Amino acid sequence: MTESTTIELRINGEVHSLEVETRRTLLEVLRQDLQLTGTKRGCNQGVCGACSILVDGNSIRSCLSLAVAMQGRDIVTIEGLGDGARLDPVQQAFLDAGAIQCGFCMPGMIISAKALLDKNPRPSKAEIRHALGNNICRCSGYVKVIDAVHRAATT
Amino acid sequence: MKYLEPETLDEAIAALASSDDARCLAGGATLVAMLNAELVDPKVLVGLRKIPALRGISRTANGIRIGAMTTHNEIAADDRLVGATELLRSAAGQIAHDAIRHVGTIGGSIAHADPSADWPAAITAADASIEIASAGGARTVSVDDFFLGYLQTAVQPGEIVTAIDIPSGPQHARGHYLKFSRVDGDYATVSIAIVLAMDGKRCEYIRFAAGACGPKPIRVAAAEERLLGTELTAGDIAAAGDLLAAEADPVDDVRGSSEYRRMLIPRLLSRAIAVVGRAHHD
Repeated sequence: MTESTTIELRINGEVHSLEVETRRTLLEVLRQDLQLTGTKRGCNQGVCGACSILVDGNSIRSCLSLAVAMQGRDIVTIEGLGDGARLDPVQQAFLDAGAIQCGFCMPGMIISAKALLDKNPRPSKAEIRHALGNNICRCSGYVKVIDAVHRAATT
Repeated sequence: MKYLEPETLDEAIAALASSDDARCLAGGATLVAMLNAELVDPKVLVGLRKIPALRGISRTANGIRIGAMTTHNEIAADDRLVGATELLRSAAGQIAHDAIRHVGTIGGSIAHADPSADWPAAITAADASIEIASAGGARTVSVDDFFLGYLQTAVQPGEIVTAIDIPSGPQHARGHYLKFSRVDGDYATVSIAIVLAMDGKRCEYIRFAAGACGPKPIRVAAAEERLLGTELTAGDIAAAGDLLAAEADPVDDVRGSSEYRRMLIPRLLSRAIAVVGRAHHD
């Protein structure tokens, strides 16, 4: 039997009141109920990193979070970066470095990079590789991604 | 599925008793993945995140107490975890990736008891005691009696893991978690968790366990006894490693064959002893 409940989620600075089934993940609610489709569903098992979002400043997996358990948290998705007119510097650096291939993993990559740079504005390349180690790119285009994060950190 | 979010332990125990098919939700790193894969479908889910008593690390008379809902990252960042309890800090920092360590909890991991995970071997070598609460009150279980088999623990229906107590061990004891995995962030192919104390050149105290090498952490008293009182020569360590490997029952999977894992055990034991042994000379 499915059971629903009304919850409030704070996403990209805006509070949304939603009726959700208790077993749905935050990823499903973001994509299906709020049309925030920048956050991708890859493995749905917490392995690939495509569904990464920021919660209270930390990068976490939205596929491993039940929507009902995320009330009271400050959630930021890829759509919440930048100000609508201008990209976030991290997004711009990914464009400038030519880091984007098919693009599917990019929102998760950029969220992980953002979480890293917010805590460590001048990471070494080793630290960048370590921080992005949890984001899988099936195009296997990691070199320019590392360059992009390094560029974002140094400009 | 009904979702409940109690704010006290008593309410959580009552919520867990409200159905014969109720489960606790800790960080969700494993349970939500299992829900997504339709491996579990509980009627009631009891979220524990709003219960402050289950969270945090504190000093006790003889060691450190870690609340069940403390995240891996909180443990990895706690610089009070030194000496023997450094084993815990070392293990926590090697679990998966940052995004998982921010949500995953020690209590959730040990209650799930996946032998490939890092906590079961770590708390076995650390000689932990696990506090478990139910409507009847609290009880404490030694880690040696806690892990019963693959995904099986001493936790009974209606019970909640509330805290893990870690003794500081003998003076000068040092702990370490050595994880051997294919790539950063993966589950271990084999891990060795160890606490060692030296009295001069002789081994005064040693306790170790191998992870990812059987249905539960592999700890062999005879292997530890083989090293007690010795100077930990290469020959002593190789003999103890063989005793440990003989009791292991690893699976063949993508992380390594059973034979390969067995071969790794004595080598990693030697490496782990070198790490804590070296620390003694610092």
